[in-house]
Amino acid sequence: MHTFEFGRPADAAAAIATAARAKTAQQGADVRFVAGGTTLVDLMKLNVETPGRLIDINRLPLDKIEATADGGLKIGATVRNSDLANNAVVQRDYSVLSQAILAGASAQLRNMATTAGNLLQRTRCMYFRDTAMACNKREPGSGCPAITGANRMLAVLGTSEQCIATNPSDMCVAMAALEATIHVQGAKGSRAIAFGEFHLLPGSTPERETVLEPGDLITHVTLPAPLAGSKQVYLKLRDRASYEFALASAAVVLTMKGETVTGARVALGGVGTKPWRSHEAETALVGQAADAATFRKAAEAALRDAKPQSENGFKIELAKRCLAYALKTAATA
Amino acid sequence: MPAGADLPRIDGLDKLAGRAAYVDDLPTPGAWHGATVRSSVPRGKIRDIHFDPAFDWNDITIVDHRDIPGPNQLKLIDVDQPVLAAGEVRHKHEPILLLAHPSVHKLRDALRAIRVDVEPLPAILDPAAPLTPDLIQYKSDNVLKHIDIRQGDPGPVFARAAHIIEGEYVTGSQEHVYLETQGMLAQWQDGRLTVRGSMQCPYYVLDALTHLFGRSRDAFRVIQSPVGGGFGGKEEYPSLLAIHAALLAEKSGAPVKMIYDRQEDMAVTTKRHPSRTRHRTALDKDGRLLAMEIDVLLDGGAYVTLSPVVLSRGCIHAAGPYFCENIHIRGEARLTNSPPYGAFRGFGAPQTIFAIERHMDVIAARIGIDPVELRRRNLVRTGQPLATGQIYKEPTDLPALMDRALDLAQYKARTQSHAEFNKSHPFLRRGIGFATFHHGAGFTGGGETYLASEVWIEGKPDGTVELQTAQTDMGQGTTTILTQVVAERLGIPTEQVRVATPDTSRVPNSGPTVASRTAMVVGKLIEQACDDLLHQLGRKSGDPEISDDIRRHASLPGKSLVGRAKYQKPASIQWDDKTYRGDAYATYSWATYVADVEVDLRTCRVRVTDFVALQEVGRVLNTTLATGQIAGGVVQGIGWALYENVVLEDGAMKNCQMTNYVIPSAGDLPPIRVVFEERPSHWGPGGAKGIGELPMDGPAPAIVNAISRAVTTTINEIPVTPELLLKATEGRGHG
Ligand SMILES: Cc1cc2nc3c(=O)[nH]c(=O)nc-3n(C[C@H](O)[C@H](O)[C@H](O)COP(=O)(O)OP(=O)(O)OC[C@H]3O[C@@H](n4cnc5c(N)ncnc54)[C@H](O)[C@@H]3O)c2cc1C
Ligand code: SF4
Repeated sequence: MHTFEFGRPADAAAAIATAARAKTAQQGADVRFVAGGTTLVDLMKLNVETPGRLIDINRLPLDKIEATADGGLKIGATVRNSDLANNAVVQRDYSVLSQAILAGASAQLRNMATTAGNLLQRTRCMYFRDTAMACNKREPGSGCPAITGANRMLAVLGTSEQCIATNPSDMCVAMAALEATIHVQGAKGSRAIAFGEFHLLPGSTPERETVLEPGDLITHVTLPAPLAGSKQVYLKLRDRASYEFALASAAVVLTMKGETVTGARVALGGVGTKPWRSHEAETALVGQAADAATFRKAAEAALRDAKPQSENGFKIELAKRCLAYALKTAATA
Repeated sequence: MPAGADLPRIDGLDKLAGRAAYVDDLPTPGAWHGATVRSSVPRGKIRDIHFDPAFDWNDITIVDHRDIPGPNQLKLIDVDQPVLAAGEVRHKHEPILLLAHPSVHKLRDALRAIRVDVEPLPAILDPAAPLTPDLIQYKSDNVLKHIDIRQGDPGPVFARAAHIIEGEYVTGSQEHVYLETQGMLAQWQDGRLTVRGSMQCPYYVLDALTHLFGRSRDAFRVIQSPVGGGFGGKEEYPSLLAIHAALLAEKSGAPVKMIYDRQEDMAVTTKRHPSRTRHRTALDKDGRLLAMEIDVLLDGGAYVTLSPVVLSRGCIHAAGPYFCENIHIRGEARLTNSPPYGAFRGFGAPQTIFAIERHMDVIAARIGIDPVELRRRNLVRTGQPLATGQIYKEPTDLPALMDRALDLAQYKARTQSHAEFNKSHPFLRRGIGFATFHHGAGFTGGGETYLASEVWIEGKPDGTVELQTAQTDMGQGTTTILTQVVAERLGIPTEQVRVATPDTSRVPNSGPTVASRTAMVVGKLIEQACDDLLHQLGRKSGDPEISDDIRRHASLPGKSLVGRAKYQKPASIQWDDKTYRGDAYATYSWATYVADVEVDLRTCRVRVTDFVALQEVGRVLNTTLATGQIAGGVVQGIGWALYENVVLEDGAMKNCQMTNYVIPSAGDLPPIRVVFEERPSHWGPGGAKGIGELPMDGPAPAIVNAISRAVTTTINEIPVTPELLLKATEGRGHG
């Protein structure tokens, strides 16, 4: 680990002003906010992140969960993942989010991890985490050894010639399906970013993972009012029962009338380079009978553009089964 | 407190409270840090080593092979492995240069400022791949060791067999994942070297140092610091690390500490040998074994290290605990350009036991006989020979042991209820499977004779005794067990027994802490040393005057009071190393393990839902510790069977992080019901036999037998990952 300066600004404005001096808010940032530290400090120990300055945001007043005027929910940036998952309103109205968070990491990690930190957690691609190796995401232009190397855990959707790294978050998959909005305060004022536009596909710039600019502080996330009578399921398939990232996961929010699907929001995890909302699956569901054939069709649609790598082809079938299974569980709940 | 009465772990509280000082915790003012520059290719010629001229190299100590005072050889079974590559590299991560500096940061920058240009040479990464002359790197055929075990004449028997069943079984490598990574601290003072660190075998380290520096034994002192787990991973590798630290310490003039981080430890240190075993078996119409042809192939990696003895144990166990008059076991460990594979709990036996126990189920299914019945007809009975011709003399009843385990697991009832369940459930499949197996305790064949272990027990002026052996405690409880053995034999309270820290300047060479030999072989010697001490005092065990006598004797000026014992081969043990005939081990532990599994056809997830581990291990010395050993071994076995996948790239492990090398978590484990059948053995202290490795042998075949039954497919390979299962159940999981 490299030495760094540590500061604890009095308010958000001071935090933003300091962070705005950084050259980038993406890979290689020399200034970083630190929340739970469970992603950042790990990467600093591995010298994958080498910020010269850390800004501790844990004491800023961003730790509330509140109702919004339009019947939705406002979740502060530093709300701990455990508090969010165990919040009564979340459990009642947004249970897919609660299920997703509880399917991730471990109790200890969830007690530290925060909403904003989780939005920005980095890929677990082993080359990214090993500074002895080339990696386009860590060192642009150096190459992507994963494409010919260890890619069992990596993505089959949204990949590029430059990077095939998976976004590993569980929370984000649920938020994608819930159509969350991310609120940012930056050097040039505040803005709201639709969830689907927050994370970027790797394309030719895998070092850029989000639309954040230097100084951008995530202040909170909002969820729209819950869909009345929706059935929500998060299903995660992984190599072991706990403390393990997804091989494939699915977040589904279904509304039904009798045996017919009237509304569907579907997102996949563990298979995409970003949290993967699948409009294709949703189209295949709405207006159809809630039966095995429909669910399988939706799953086929969701993975239609999947591109297998040398070791991860099995994840395509696994993701299809995962989604079909999640849909069936939701429909029969 | 008598043996068996569960003396709490002597080292437990210190470890729990964080007081135990592991090597990285040792206060070492002025110590420098050491680091290693390694090969990035599996094989090649070193053309040039480029030091970035912009970097300040002044205060960095750099060691290469020219700094080695004696032969550049890591002395083990052979001397083919250099401690630092000289001109040529044979595996990825092979050490080329060593660096030391007081600052870890500068050291890390220095590592980055060095570029080694290697001209790649053709590498062999698959031991079964065809050999071309340019791939040959050891003797004429890359065979590190060849073993033939013959009994009777299998050839002609196949012609008259009712059934001939063949099968091929493959096991992957496995990483030890001990909690404490490898670490050594070396310090020269007045021409004498002291090495402290994490190790299983202080005298191996001493031998390796003596050989490399070309100096006599008294120039070196090797001390074991508390060890956070070994599982065989700290049998041979610590010798290399100790030499590296010693070379840097000598050149820099400062104490040097080398501590691997997890990634380096996983990437470069030894692991379990990957294996492929082929069986061809002749049976009569009732399922009796007539002839067995077994072909064992181990991937040895780039140097000989311990592969010959791993292969040896693997081959000896390859025919299982069965009686068969005609056997030919052919084993080879072959060179590949992988980092050398090495000792790992079970030492070759888990690989071949996986094969034979899967094969028994395959045979049962193919000839339509119940797997329990098949084993019952073939299990060895007292008085019958095992594969090496060893007649098993101790009374044991393997069919009864098997039946008891199956009863405990409700095998019959569950086999039935699973069949019903599987008929009606759309996507869950349940199965129950088992394995019957044995594990030889102690060194193989003539090994113990060759070791000629010695132990001392010294009376102290305060009336206590100090046990002096080279046996190391790495969390398995050696200190506690040996304390009990001494207390029981002398008939004194355990509080009056101390166990000396393994320190080669103070303790005799009682051999390595490996091969399930400590409690049994060394324990037995300790009993003899205790008897010697009692004899010198003219006392009987338990005499109330013992303590006073010791105090008096030990206080006499110029006198010392030491009971001694040295291993002597019992006349009843006969072994011929050339023909591999005879008593391979003094005795064996026996077991039947039963696993219950549930497979989700949709998600390809396997859950082990129940596990029974029944074993006959002689007398149990300490039930808590023994249960812990077995349960821990079962967990490691579950990991090897289902989760732990060493992914190789250029022959070396590439998933070197805890996030991508998956070991089971508590949430993945079934209740593990550990049951002992106690039948005191003649060979160990108080009737004990070795148990350390046994529990590694049974879980994988039991689990894969259960899975194969659950999904009515034949799976002959581990680990059973979701992708493997997906393939094996193709088209069945859509529901
Ligand atoms: C062993 C392990 C297992 C795990 N398993 C899982 C799993 O199964 N599923 C899963 O989803 N996750 C898993 N995680 C990841 C975990 O969820 C994340 O590490 C965590 O959510 C990150 O939150 P944090 O608050 O600790 O982030 P930090 O480490 O503090 O920060 C992460 C990044 O976010 C930035 N940041 C933080 N707050 C803000 C803000 N308000 N505005 C702008 N930038 C900000 C930081 O600068 C940093 O770059 C695991 C982590 C570990 C270590
Ligand atoms: S997949 Fe992406 S993160 Fe992984 S090595 Fe390639 S560029 Fe780096």
